[in-house]
Amino acid sequence: MIRLEELTKRFKQVTAVDNVSLMVAPGEIYGFLGPNGAGKTTTIKMLAGIMRPTSGSIFIDDLDLLKHPIEVKARVGFIPDRPFLYEKLTGSEFMSFMANLYGFNGAGREKRIQQFLELFELAEWAKELVGSYSHGMKQRLIMSAALLHEPRVFIVDEPLVGLDPKGARLIKRIFTRLKRSGLTVFMSTHTLEVAEELCDRIGIIQKGELLAEGTVAELKELAGQEDSRLESIFLHLTGAETESTEDIGFINQKNSSIPQSV
Amino acid sequence: MKVLTLLAPRWWGFRNGLVFGGRRSLIKAGSLLAVAVGFWVGIYVIFYRVLRYFQAVEEFGDLLAYKLLTMVYLTFFGLLIFSNVLVALNTFFLSQDLEIIHATPVSIGEIFAARFLDTLVESSWMVLLFGIPIFTAYGLVYQASLVYYLGLVSVIIPYLILAAALGITLTMILVQVFPAQRSRDILFLLSLLVIILLFFLFRFTRPERLVDPDAFASVITYFRALSAPASPYLPSSWASEAIWPLLRPSAMSSGFYQGFLWVNGLASLVVCAFVAIWVYPEGWSKSQESGRLLAGRFLGLVPKRLRPRTPRRSQTLSLMGKDLKFFFRDNTQWSQLLLILALIVLYLYNYSVLPLDSVKVPTFYLQNLIAFLNVGLAGFVLASIGVRFVFTAVSGEGFSFWIMQSAPLSMRRLLWSKFLFYLAPLLLLGLILTIATNELLQVSALMRWLAPITIFSMVFGITALGVGMGAVFPNFKAENVTQVATGFGGLLYMILAMGFIAMVVVLEAGPVYILFMAQARHHSLSFFQWLYVGGSIFLMVLVNIAAVWLPMRYGIRKLAAYEG
Repeated sequence: MIRLEELTKRFKQVTAVDNVSLMVAPGEIYGFLGPNGAGKTTTIKMLAGIMRPTSGSIFIDDLDLLKHPIEVKARVGFIPDRPFLYEKLTGSEFMSFMANLYGFNGAGREKRIQQFLELFELAEWAKELVGSYSHGMKQRLIMSAALLHEPRVFIVDEPLVGLDPKGARLIKRIFTRLKRSGLTVFMSTHTLEVAEELCDRIGIIQKGELLAEGTVAELKELAGQEDSRLESIFLHLTGAETESTEDIGFINQKNSSIPQSV
Repeated sequence: MKVLTLLAPRWWGFRNGLVFGGRRSLIKAGSLLAVAVGFWVGIYVIFYRVLRYFQAVEEFGDLLAYKLLTMVYLTFFGLLIFSNVLVALNTFFLSQDLEIIHATPVSIGEIFAARFLDTLVESSWMVLLFGIPIFTAYGLVYQASLVYYLGLVSVIIPYLILAAALGITLTMILVQVFPAQRSRDILFLLSLLVIILLFFLFRFTRPERLVDPDAFASVITYFRALSAPASPYLPSSWASEAIWPLLRPSAMSSGFYQGFLWVNGLASLVVCAFVAIWVYPEGWSKSQESGRLLAGRFLGLVPKRLRPRTPRRSQTLSLMGKDLKFFFRDNTQWSQLLLILALIVLYLYNYSVLPLDSVKVPTFYLQNLIAFLNVGLAGFVLASIGVRFVFTAVSGEGFSFWIMQSAPLSMRRLLWSKFLFYLAPLLLLGLILTIATNELLQVSALMRWLAPITIFSMVFGITALGVGMGAVFPNFKAENVTQVATGFGGLLYMILAMGFIAMVVVLEAGPVYILFMAQARHHSLSFFQWLYVGGSIFLMVLVNIAAVWLPMRYGIRKLAAYEG
């Protein structure tokens, strides 16, 4: 499980994450939503041990990440929003490398690597350099590598970016399966339908502060919009709701300075 | 106007780097400027003194100054063509912003014009900058008038345009034959081989013979060759012919060659534009294709059991295995082994042809002195290789560094694995350089042991400094890791490494002299001499330990705190 206690991150004058406290239980999928620049990726980077908080604590499986970074990281599978990988390794070499890095050397390691490559439809490309992979393939390779060492907590920044509908559906199935096996998932996403479909609880962050937290039903109640979809609740809670067309009215106005044909 | 719009991001990027970079970037820029000014002054002083010396030589003086001028222009032209080809590959075919630019309603002609200017400026500014002290030295030594300086501007502009047009045209044709990525690799390899060949050619002519009076007959032949006219087809000859009359008032007019340069410069620009408009769209389209890397193919020829493998069950070995694969799959990395090999051959060749017998100092003494100084020189060679490979080792992780940060891996282990990875080849190289040199010089038994032991211990410090400093100044966002070596951190590494090597050599010099003289005169050492020798060795050990421990410790701490 994950526990954040008064987590704060400041960059000079800007407070990216401001006193955030939350808890995610084992076997729970927690969706972390917020507008651009709200502090989602900063929080996720702190959870993955890539960034140190200015103050506050992060506990994973009751272990303090700041005090026991190696032990905590061994229990975590992390997927960043942009799939930067070692372009000069082949897919299977990357998987072996990650297995070594995470100390996953148990029996059946090679079989498990092969299973993941097949599950994510990468087996055919396993001997090709990662540099020749498409964005979606790289995303699937990271996903395979992050699940390889049987993590207890899964931290994902934008899990469905760059995936085709088939890949997206596979990820949803995997998340549901992981949840059933007691794995904790902490994911940030902009795809509100996915959050609504997959997440047990949702936290909404804005300007670094946790605005609201709860199940979709609880959030609806909080926003006083019990019949609405998550998108309306999100927009209502973050103050971005607008029904007026005045602000977008200029788009189809004729402008004489733009040439009509080139 | 669209051309200016296309160029604007360049200028904005430069300006924003200064505005938003804060005090640190200003300090960096200031330090680099100070180094550049240092070089500038150095070049000026050297050329001023050389030209002054030439002036004092009757008959030959002016001829030498003129030949030097043509050589300067020829060297600049070669550098400009090479740099234009490399820069053009990037600006026209590989740059990340090209996708956006080609998707906008801008014509190929406008893109060409903007990228031409971009390439021209990027590949010419350094040559231009370092040309200024040379041309100023000429102007001051020959007490040239304002017309000379105006003439310089009038010559250099078409000269730069000509080189850029030729370089860009060559690039356009190259990309027609190979994909852009492959062109860069092939070009890189070819240029490396040409540089090695030139080195060998120059070295094997044995210029040191010119100080030997016995070889005077060959010097006369050399001067005869000098007075032969230069090739009339080379733009460097046109530029020299245009400038020389402005330095030495004579009947010759500079106007014809100036006009000739302008006509050719502008004509080459027109030809380049035609070629570009004709082939660039297709070349750009081809550059999107991904080609298999040369080393990938090369590796395919190696038997499977000999290929680098990722060993199981060890993080350190796994990290080293990954670095080994990267090294042999990156053409810009492994191909530099050729350069290092050539460097070793030349290094040893230099020692084999040293004219020790002609110097009026006892050969035995001189051999050992040179062998001792060789320790410092070998250290310098290792530090130069270190800045290119070891210092860049951490930055080489690039955008994938997040994998190291999020893995259950301490930065201590990561850095020590890099240290071990580079230690072995540097040790081998250091030992080859010292042992082989000692053999060539036929040194005493003391030096035969001392030099390899000293270099062996120094390699630990040189490697640790590289890894540690590389971790203190990481650049995970560099498009090319060679850029990292030439930055502020790389410069600081070189300064510290040279300081470390100098300290070890200075500490060792005293005891070595005492031991050497005692051995030569068959004396035994006094108590105080033993104390001095012991104290120096103790200090040397301390310096070596500090050179390993301090940078590694600081590097580990800085990298663990890295959040960029």
